Amino acid sequence: MELLTALTVGLLFAIGIFQMLRRNIIRSTIGLIILANAVNLFLLSTGAYDGTVAAYTTTTGQRSDALPQALVLTAIVISMGGTAFVLSMLYIISSRYETADMDDVQGLKH
Amino acid sequence: MEHIAPWFLLLPLSLVTAAAILAALAGRSAFLGRLGIDRLSLILAAFPLAAFIILAAYVPALNRNEVFSWRIAWLPSLGLSLGFYLDSLAALFALIVTLIGVLVIVYGGQYFKGDESAYRFQTYLLLFMTSMLGLVLAGDVLTLFVFWEGTSILSYLLVAYKYKDEAARQGAFRALFITGGGGIALLAGLLFVGHVAGGMDFATILSSGDVLRASELYPVMLGLVAFGAFTKSAQFPAHIWLPGAMSAPTPASAYLHSATMVKAGIYLMARMNPALGFTESWFWLLTSVGLVTMLAGAYLGLKQNDLKALLAYSTISQLGILMMLIGQDIEEAFKALVIGVLAHALYKSALFLVVGIVDHETGTRDIRRLGGLWRAMPFTFAVAVIAALSMAGLPPLFGFLAKETLLAAAVHPTLPPLVASLLPWAAVVAGALMLAQSGLLIYETFLGRPKDASRRGHEAPHLMWLMPAIPALLSVGITLLPGPKDEAAFLAGAAAAAFGGKVKVSLALWHGINVPLLLSAAAISLGAVLFYFRGPVRAIQWRVLPRLGFNALYQAVLAAIFRGARLATRVQGGRLRLYLETMIVAAIVLVLVFTGGRLLPDLSLARLPAMDFFGATQMLRLFALLVAVGAALASLLLPRDFGAILALSTSGLSMALLFALEPAPDVALVQIVVDILATVILVLALTRLPRGQRAAAQRLALSELRSRRPLSLIRDLVVAGLIGLVVASLTYTALTSRPLRDSVITPYYEANAKTQAEATDVVGAIVVDFRQLDTVIEIVVFSAAGLGAYMLLRPAALRAGERGGRGRRAVVNGSPVTKGIAGAETSAFVRLPALATLPIAMLIAATHMIYGHQQPGDGFTAGVIIALAVALWYVVFGYEETRRRLPWLRGFRLIGMGVIIVFVVGAITYALTGFFFAHVNFGEMIGLPLPYGFDFSSSFLFEVAICLTVLGSAALIINTLGHPDDTDEETDAQSIVEA
Repeated sequence: MELLTALTVGLLFAIGIFQMLRRNIIRSTIGLIILANAVNLFLLSTGAYDGTVAAYTTTTGQRSDALPQALVLTAIVISMGGTAFVLSMLYIISSRYETADMDDVQGLKH
Repeated sequence: MEHIAPWFLLLPLSLVTAAAILAALAGRSAFLGRLGIDRLSLILAAFPLAAFIILAAYVPALNRNEVFSWRIAWLPSLGLSLGFYLDSLAALFALIVTLIGVLVIVYGGQYFKGDESAYRFQTYLLLFMTSMLGLVLAGDVLTLFVFWEGTSILSYLLVAYKYKDEAARQGAFRALFITGGGGIALLAGLLFVGHVAGGMDFATILSSGDVLRASELYPVMLGLVAFGAFTKSAQFPAHIWLPGAMSAPTPASAYLHSATMVKAGIYLMARMNPALGFTESWFWLLTSVGLVTMLAGAYLGLKQNDLKALLAYSTISQLGILMMLIGQDIEEAFKALVIGVLAHALYKSALFLVVGIVDHETGTRDIRRLGGLWRAMPFTFAVAVIAALSMAGLPPLFGFLAKETLLAAAVHPTLPPLVASLLPWAAVVAGALMLAQSGLLIYETFLGRPKDASRRGHEAPHLMWLMPAIPALLSVGITLLPGPKDEAAFLAGAAAAAFGGKVKVSLALWHGINVPLLLSAAAISLGAVLFYFRGPVRAIQWRVLPRLGFNALYQAVLAAIFRGARLATRVQGGRLRLYLETMIVAAIVLVLVFTGGRLLPDLSLARLPAMDFFGATQMLRLFALLVAVGAALASLLLPRDFGAILALSTSGLSMALLFALEPAPDVALVQIVVDILATVILVLALTRLPRGQRAAAQRLALSELRSRRPLSLIRDLVVAGLIGLVVASLTYTALTSRPLRDSVITPYYEANAKTQAEATDVVGAIVVDFRQLDTVIEIVVFSAAGLGAYMLLRPAALRAGERGGRGRRAVVNGSPVTKGIAGAETSAFVRLPALATLPIAMLIAATHMIYGHQQPGDGFTAGVIIALAVALWYVVFGYEETRRRLPWLRGFRLIGMGVIIVFVVGAITYALTGFFFAHVNFGEMIGLPLPYGFDFSSSFLFEVAICLTVLGSAALIINTLGHPDDTDEETDAQSIVEA
């Protein structure tokens, strides 16, 4: 399973980065979200227990690792906040530069 | 004094800090403002005066060889502490700092009389005094460094006080640039010293001199510490900042650049002498640098026309002498050091203040335009004469004693032959030049004929000339004070602290006819000759070696830095995508370097899933992975942005499926709602983009993928592919090498979830109980994101609020068909279910909060679910009506409520159990009759708080992104109007 998970994470990461490198700013945001998903998947699969039942004290059997789950829970919400912030920045960019094309955003140019 | 508590040491520092705060408040308060800067300064001066008295009260005990220290742990884990230490050496400097400080504050009040903005000056000055006092009282090298940097920064503010003046700003920058650079070296040096000595406090460092000197790091430590001290104390060739700093107002120059800050380097070296001194390299370094500084300062001083510049160069010369003395290893040198420090502080601050008076009353400091002022300013003249005679080193003044002891140290027989023959003559030459300068200052300013009839001047207010009179008289009277024995004992103590052994100090002026006296006579005669021929001598000085060229060097260094910066910015092409690509490539390279290129991990460790077609879970997981990747790929390939967003949403949902199969139901639940919310805000953002831009971007996406010249596309593909490969192999390595079934933390959480948090859901227990602080930070971050989005888009929102108020509402009210988001029409069939959604969502949210500890779900899910229902309202009813119907939906208020609940509950649990954020079951405590499974506990309240903050932040985001401002027709119309 590790190989498949690793491949998935790698593929999602590659797709996310490729999307982020697009000129269309909506696509770059999509790339960011895919990237966040890849990272969350990675985090979750680092648990020390490959469980078969959920991490409840009432269950019997091999529980899944609760620690990375709690961390990922936090990460998901935070990455959504980040996405929202990026989106409002994109809106500012589009109204300041009057474009949705990344390459027209040249404010950092010397 | 034995019964004085150690914290008493903090009093002087606190008093001066309090004065600084008072001065700062004075600028704001009407009452203190009416007082006028001159009278306020008298009040302010009382604080350092009190500090001076307190410090003076320590002297008898210090004379009995007692030392006082106080320390408090700062970062105990790093061995850092904040400490103060008072021995005779520190007390000598601290007394000078506070005494001259009192004078300068009072003087400053007169100097700036009538200038209401001078509160700023007095504030800076008092803050500087705090730093300086902290520096000399510091008990460990890090405390010292903090205050050291404080003096540099406040010196910058004081020199650049007249910030509209270009020269003042440049002078201030130069001083900061040089002393700041020295500060960095000093920090490194002090850390080395602390590391080798095994402790940062002076007690440890001073007692481990042998270890330090034997260390192979000794040359590094010495070089770094000395560099810091040399830059601060204006040693050659770093002296160039001091004349430039003369653009400071004169009270600041008198204080910083003669009596205190420039002595910081001297203090540091004297302090470190027992630990780092008494070596060959110490001797040669300090002696040579000090000697050159002494001669260069004395030589350059004579040719100046500006009185302040003249004083600045003579200060440099004096600092060179002091630095040189620290380099020696004989008792006499340290005797000369302490006497020199005190004498110089007294006469030089007096002279600076006198020059300030001259400048203030006549409007110039140029000796070519002054002269004959003694008639108009008799008191100032008298003060100037006394101070200048002390500077010239003439008996019976204190300066004479300083020079005598210096010469005695210079003729000591233990010196290496070359130095032994050179040093006395160098000292004689410097003494002669100094005498000539004193004569120049007095004669050209006060005597002779007035050279410029418009510069007559008149006597300063009494308070103003009295301030320099005090140190001037002290330099006469210090040998005549009632108890010269006590003063001598105190100075002997200070010298002993710097020397590291006993030093005898006598303040008697007459020691009989000896070599130093003869040398002194030689210096006086030579000085008199130089003064007599001052005209030709100065003319020659101006013609030969007009400038030493170190300013040019400084300018060249600065210019090189700027050129480098310009070059670095030229690389900035401004294309954000290229920056991103550069970063990614750099990351790939770093990984390759640190893994040694062994990117492909050991595949034999792979445990492929059993291709068990009946094991539904495994197959489902495979399916979810495929969908996740496939949908992500689709989001890349689909031509329309809307389609891409939907594909993204699909990919996110299959993530949720993966999480559910983990099995991690809590995470899966959050992923589902967050994914939906993300989709909603993405669509909202898409609708906010003007149609023209949207279409252009759309075309762009297509043309990029079907480009005829796919070079950049291939580059992106390669970069993305490589980083994907790197990430995949890192993930694989991480996953195959994780310690399976070997965790310390998780079993602890599992074992204690029930007992400590009354939870069966371990994940929920971790989030709201065990790692509650993480969650608090998380909701704060999430709130910050929401507030940030709001702040970014607020200008647009406000504009819309003004316009939207008029036209829209009429359409909405009572109409069977309303306009939803982006002006789409919605009918009653859609509106009715939407109306019902919100209460249902709230109900679901409530169950999540109540049962989150026993079942999947928690405050996040609850908050996001309500937010989703609200988002639906926005879509169906449009912005205006949603706002009208949901008056309680105020993002700021919800966030505020949530955060307040968190901390109030935290405080209550702290009061009850002694632990912040502990789990307390309030319901059980007061016996509330609650239904089964509903615990009215701190955890429940915390879930509510999370829900409120998340809802508030999400509402802010939806609100700002869902604003009607930029529905297409409006923006388009607006942009046409604006164009």
